[in-house]
Amino acid sequence: MKRRVSRLKKWIWVLAACLAVLTMVSDIKNTLADAPYKTYTIDGYGSVTETQTAYLPYRTITKIGEEALVGPTDFTLLDDGTMYILDSGNRRVVVSDSNAELIMTFGEGELVGPRGMYVTRDHICYIADRDAKKILVYDGQGQQIASYTKPLEPMYGETQDFLPIKIVANNSGTMYVICESNTNGIVQISPVGNGTFLGYFGTNATNADLMTILWRAVLTDQQRAKMVGNIPATPDNMAIDEKGLLYTVTRGEGDDSLKWLNIAGTNMIEPDSHDEVPAAVAVGNHDNVFVASQMGYIYEYNNEGELLFVFGGSDDGQQRIGLSTKIEAIQVGTDDKIYVLDSDKAQIQVFEPTEFTEHLHEALYLFSKGRYAESKAPLSEVLRMNNLFDYANMAMGRALYKEGDYEAALEYAKLAKDFDSYSDAFWEIRNNWLKRHLGTIIILLLVIAIGGKVIGLLDKKYGILNVPRSWIDRIKSYRLVKEVLYDFHFVRHPIHGCYEIKRHNVVSVASANILMAVFILFFIINKYFCGFLLKTVREGSYDVFSDIGMIVIVLGLVVGCNYLMCTINDGEGKFKAVYCSFIYSMGPYLILIPFIFMLSHVVTYNEVFFIRFAYFCMAVWIAVLIFISIKEINNYSVQKTFKIIFLTLFTILIVCLLTFIIYVLWAQVFDFISSLVGEVVYKIGN
Amino acid sequence: MAIKGRTGRRITALCLGLLLAVQSPFGGYFSDTQSVSGVYAANIPAGYSKIAQNQEFNLYMCEDDLSLIVEDKESGATMSSAITYDDGKNNNTWLGAMKSAVVLTFINGNDDSKQADLVNDEVRKTITSTANGFRAELLWNKYSFGLTLEVELTDEGLTAYIADESIVENSDNYRIGTIAIYPFMGNSYLDEKEGYLLVPDGNGALIYLDDKEGRFSVGYSEMIYGKDIGFEDSSVTSLLWDRYEMVTDAEKIIAPVYGIAHTDDGIAYLAIVEEGDERATIEAHPNGVSVDYNRAYAKFIERKLYTQPTSNNSTSGSLHLAESDRSHSDLRIRFLFLSGDKANYAGMANAYREYLLQNGLLEIQEDDYQTRVDFLGTEREKWVIGTSTVVMTTTDDIRDIYDDLASAGVTDIFSVYKGWQKGGLYDIPITSYKADPGIGGTSSLTALIKDAESRGISFYLYNNALWINPDEQNASFNVVKQINKRRYSFDTYKDVYETMMYLTPARSKTVLNRFINSYTAKGIDHLCVAGISDTVFSYSYSGVNYSRYECSEDYRALVGEVNERAGLVLEHPFAYLWKDTEAFLDMPMYTSSYIVEDESVPFLSIVLKGVMPVYSEYINFEANKNEFFLKLVETGTYPSFYITRESSSNLINTNSCDIYSSEYDVYRDMIISYTEELKAFNEEVAGARILRHEIMDSGVTVVGYDNGKTVYLNYTDTQQTVNGVTIEAMSYEVL
Repeated sequence: MKRRVSRLKKWIWVLAACLAVLTMVSDIKNTLADAPYKTYTIDGYGSVTETQTAYLPYRTITKIGEEALVGPTDFTLLDDGTMYILDSGNRRVVVSDSNAELIMTFGEGELVGPRGMYVTRDHICYIADRDAKKILVYDGQGQQIASYTKPLEPMYGETQDFLPIKIVANNSGTMYVICESNTNGIVQISPVGNGTFLGYFGTNATNADLMTILWRAVLTDQQRAKMVGNIPATPDNMAIDEKGLLYTVTRGEGDDSLKWLNIAGTNMIEPDSHDEVPAAVAVGNHDNVFVASQMGYIYEYNNEGELLFVFGGSDDGQQRIGLSTKIEAIQVGTDDKIYVLDSDKAQIQVFEPTEFTEHLHEALYLFSKGRYAESKAPLSEVLRMNNLFDYANMAMGRALYKEGDYEAALEYAKLAKDFDSYSDAFWEIRNNWLKRHLGTIIILLLVIAIGGKVIGLLDKKYGILNVPRSWIDRIKSYRLVKEVLYDFHFVRHPIHGCYEIKRHNVVSVASANILMAVFILFFIINKYFCGFLLKTVREGSYDVFSDIGMIVIVLGLVVGCNYLMCTINDGEGKFKAVYCSFIYSMGPYLILIPFIFMLSHVVTYNEVFFIRFAYFCMAVWIAVLIFISIKEINNYSVQKTFKIIFLTLFTILIVCLLTFIIYVLWAQVFDFISSLVGEVVYKIGN
Repeated sequence: MAIKGRTGRRITALCLGLLLAVQSPFGGYFSDTQSVSGVYAANIPAGYSKIAQNQEFNLYMCEDDLSLIVEDKESGATMSSAITYDDGKNNNTWLGAMKSAVVLTFINGNDDSKQADLVNDEVRKTITSTANGFRAELLWNKYSFGLTLEVELTDEGLTAYIADESIVENSDNYRIGTIAIYPFMGNSYLDEKEGYLLVPDGNGALIYLDDKEGRFSVGYSEMIYGKDIGFEDSSVTSLLWDRYEMVTDAEKIIAPVYGIAHTDDGIAYLAIVEEGDERATIEAHPNGVSVDYNRAYAKFIERKLYTQPTSNNSTSGSLHLAESDRSHSDLRIRFLFLSGDKANYAGMANAYREYLLQNGLLEIQEDDYQTRVDFLGTEREKWVIGTSTVVMTTTDDIRDIYDDLASAGVTDIFSVYKGWQKGGLYDIPITSYKADPGIGGTSSLTALIKDAESRGISFYLYNNALWINPDEQNASFNVVKQINKRRYSFDTYKDVYETMMYLTPARSKTVLNRFINSYTAKGIDHLCVAGISDTVFSYSYSGVNYSRYECSEDYRALVGEVNERAGLVLEHPFAYLWKDTEAFLDMPMYTSSYIVEDESVPFLSIVLKGVMPVYSEYINFEANKNEFFLKLVETGTYPSFYITRESSSNLINTNSCDIYSSEYDVYRDMIISYTEELKAFNEEVAGARILRHEIMDSGVTVVGYDNGKTVYLNYTDTQQTVNGVTIEAMSYEVL
């Protein structure tokens, strides 16, 4: 008997355990899963880097209650979790609660070929029915309350068909409709007077390159009308934010694929990346925006268009949770979960933010509300997990700046390549430093001035500087030193300098080489160690050898080609003279760069003009010197000099082209030889 | 009549279940209410006769189709290899597959989809009974092929065996493609049974036996030990912005097992593919996938069609050919039947562990808690000509880190040093013990290893013995070719080294031995081997085709040999190498997230906990740190960190650009706190094994150890109480 009881216990134990497990199935699925996709982000230099998984697949809704979906094309998720799903294949709307239980269906028998839908907070449901060429409006009980057909206003275009595919509406009931094959823009219809056409909105621009403009000039009107690319792309989808501003996505528009349009229809966002086939867009809860690609990728941007994450992927038959086949719509819940409608799979895939993303969102939220101090905690959590996450570094820098911790702000701004914040923080630091040390500086300057004067007087009277002066003179008396220092004369008196170089050999190839080496040295120092704001390369990345190679190749090309052109154009210059004059013409660089370099460490964006101006002066000065050198060394007229310069440029082009051709041919030969050898090896191997 | 009876039974069981569910949501632990045993009366259909028995089970066999029924002597619960109820929707081919003991597909010309079974085809059967089962010589008259099936029930379980020599093919037109043995063993119709299919995806996954309502058109179907690159066509993956790989690889099957549990009947089996596993797939299909029956089985591949390109240009023509010879191996599946409270995945894992230990396939290793702190030495980035070194962690850095950790009380450390060799992480294969000058050179590495040893730190050098980098080393010879004689290479989707190739097993052996010779000459002998530990493939070399059986045999011998000569740990090792590793590195915590899977369970962790140290995948790259920490506790896995001294931003232009977070300063505190907490936890369960594992509907997971300790883990955001134990949100309790 005892044994029987224990056996019973066992049974019940097993049965109940399995019931426990099964109850869970019907409820929300356990989310302990790995994502079948990677997540990437973009840093300030535009490099794409992998990062922690931002969103994990949370659940898959394949049925609403007992109702299966067929080819759904759109849906709206309301704040209370209610979902209106446009079940296009079944020509109806399915309404579901937050647990995917059926509330009701409507629209059966009334919808013909619905493609888009929008539901307001008050459960007013707008449906764009393409095949019926109508917009239908339903109330929260599924009763049709209005319908709109093609606007009759002539401004709409009489021959223009009305094929609505996507729709949104603002608080006042004004509808924004994307119509298939209507390239004029988004159709704006007011509900007043049974539908008043208000005009087109947010038209995309056509891309006109030089060739197109040239063609347009010659073609007739009819021909022009047929030109591909002359027609602006129709947006593919849109979303509306709380303020009633529209986000649109358009395929094939490059970085203009995602637009955020203000009332005037002007774009306010510049994304740093784009998708080729964006399918849908949704507005997030933290001034962020999501774009879903038909390919299954989901992008999250902040309100400045900086990519926070891209994740997801297309399912090529692997049947893994979280991969998509054809995304049609995307929505974001109040809890930051992302809902993605896949029409091929006829399902809604829900993604849940990970701890990493939750920290980031908290920071985004606090930051956008101006609560910088509070945003630091979640930001440090993000940075602890991924200290290279660009947005977090930037936000941290700005938060610290607002708090007045400029030193730390500077560091983060540097990490995030956030030049504006860096400039601001640096200004503050410099200001503080100046305030603290102004007295000392003035005293120091006075001391130097007075000291200089005193030394000058003493020198005059007792000649105390005679000894160092004699040293300097002795150094200056070396021939090579003299030759090098001749550059100071050359940059001021280029005509005379050229004459001396040509006739009197005042400089040598050795001195030119020394100057060249100094030039390279200055170039490299300036490139890698100049002030952060003027830096063009990534902090900490060095590619010195390719820099040297580049300078040598460019100089070689210029000098070589110029010499070639001059010799066949009655130029008098010898190669040495041409070479030396070119190098000596670089003098302004050698003179100005040390100052620019030092200045670059103390300027902010407010004073960066000085440096730009210095660069400009330097460039003009060098150009003038080169021009004069070519003219004087070869004894040309001004006109002929221009001609030679043009010819030189042309020769450089030809040389580059030749090199390229030879390279390609050689690559072919190399390929041929390697595959021949490969085959021989293969034959021997067998 | 039969249907009526079944429905009645189902309804009774369901009502009882509901009653129980209402009474006590956590009744799984302690409840002693009504009797349910009457429902499970033994019911052996006509045509079956008892042929063998062991202590717990009776075995019945039907001579027509050699199908089996296993009956639990105590409860009378049964599992059948043939369907017992026909829903009338199945065609003859399917019915044949549902009943036959062996189901073959054969290749006829270019068609490899035809089926041969024991029901639809004329088969000459010679059945002889043996001491514990039977032996059946089968010959398909029409196709002139045959085989001998031997079935035996002993206390070690039920085995089904086909000897390689017994497989005969006498016709050139019909040649065997695949063989499935008892493919419907333990099948059930729709949701008639409660329970699940166990699949070896990742750490382990369950597919529930509920009514799937036709949601899935494909089930779980994966090759044991991963896809065969010898046959893989170079498929075009869709890349983000034409450059970035988005979809991750699915988890490879590490252990050749699958199982079915009927939890309502209290009967289950774990099937171990003992022989022929290297070239077999695990198929687990819930109802709705072609037919409405739930089934799981192994399918042995004997011969396959492959694509032979006829020119170098991939767009031109190609031929479909069948392999000229079939692969040669005995085929054996062992079904370990379980009953009562062992009839669940934890019971299966326990049975598998015992099986491995008894058969010498697993050895008990020293298992003290250690935190794994791996280091990356040097990498390479592109340079004007060739590549330049990116130094991430030198030997001195490592010593400093050890000092720093020791000052914080962390001394239980296990380290694998990657990228230590001359030329950096991807200058592979490594043929000699020569360290990169960037990390301090060979002598300082030797000094570091000795130093680590004296501190009690397990320090291993990383060696990928499978890959060869064609940009750094000569890959003209000794690299693997596919069966179509094309050299195999794969994309890394990285900038510096864009492709990699595989060394032949013979070459792996040469280079690994050469390396060990120069390594052990310095008196040091700790090695971490990767690549060959989790890859096996068919290949062709010098005009000879080699099968996965030969490949795995070579690796087995090589790893065994290396283990004799050096202390060896293996990265992500397949089950056949477990006996030769001191630890299991990179244990997957989750699954590949296939849509058919309902639940991820720590099957492999239950098998290995308390037997050998198991280390997780790197925590650096986990987005849900808190959840992952709980997962470490749940599975008794030791944490792993991938550490560099320099900032990981330095790696952005290297092939390791996916290591986006690794700087020591960032991870220092985490290493210390994880070590403190996990060490304390693992000391409580030191040497103990996991007996029970339950996932409650409240989101609490309960893990029971054989030393009496029970761990309650709460994965939810709210406080939960189970059996009077209160567990805070996202935390755990040990009792």
